[in-house]
Amino acid sequence: MWKDNYKIGVDLIDEQHKELFRRVWEFTRIIRSSENWENRIEQVKKTMDFMKDYVIIHFNDEEAYQEEINYPDIELHKQAHAKFREGINQYVELFENEGFTEEKIQEFGGKLMTWLIVHVGKMDQQIGEYVRSQGGQANES
Amino acid sequence: MKVEYINPFYKATKDIFKLMLDIDPQKKDLKVVEDMIQAKETSVLLGITGDLQGGIMFSFPMDMALEMIKIMSGMDLNVIDSFASSALGEIGNIIGGNALTELSKNNYICNIIPPQIFVGEHRSLSLANEKALLLTLTTPIGDFDLSIFLKAE
Repeated sequence: MWKDNYKIGVDLIDEQHKELFRRVWEFTRIIRSSENWENRIEQVKKTMDFMKDYVIIHFNDEEAYQEEINYPDIELHKQAHAKFREGINQYVELFENEGFTEEKIQEFGGKLMTWLIVHVGKMDQQIGEYVRSQGGQANES
Repeated sequence: MKVEYINPFYKATKDIFKLMLDIDPQKKDLKVVEDMIQAKETSVLLGITGDLQGGIMFSFPMDMALEMIKIMSGMDLNVIDSFASSALGEIGNIIGGNALTELSKNNYICNIIPPQIFVGEHRSLSLANEKALLLTLTTPIGDFDLSIFLKAE
């Protein structure tokens, strides 16, 4: 799922992105496995908890980094993070209220993968471009 | 239908394909049609409301839709299941969202109705004597259709 052209050239963020993709990949692998759903459900819940926490840690770290470098589009970026979190939370609520059904988990998995690729592949690239434009140390990728 | 309605969808489609799949679709054919026809097996329909009303539909051959999900996920799949249809719908949603941002710069304020995904059904949506534009785009993983029907309120 991770591709090297998703790198932004800032090591801290790139490492976290790789970890995020790894977790989403793992989540996707479990939800799409052909094993009986009842046997997988505990693993799905556990992976989902991990992932949800990691998204929050990563977004906080990324926003702190943007503050540190005086990133001009920080507010726009924070809004995108908030929307991403809200998208996840809507499904978390749905699962809490209506239970974990295989179909809804799959639907969530498909969206989550798409959101992650678009966010990292587009919005986050602009952070790397800004760092480079300021003569900073973002590696050429 | 004005060109200024169409270009934002064409451009957003190219941008998102490049970003998500590393593919740059090229125009192959452009036709004016009487209905929005789902000529290929997997389609994503987005309704548009607001200053412009109508819809846009992406129609992909099954193999191409599966290959798209494979490129994104790095996983093999052989049917359009809930995971794949959700991802395809979201790609459509993101393309539509980007196109509407572009249209808003020309003062057309619109909203998207959440995508509907049709698999394996051949259907045509009648446009009540209006015309739609059918753009066929070619890529190394297959040709797909983008049908656009929009009219000003």
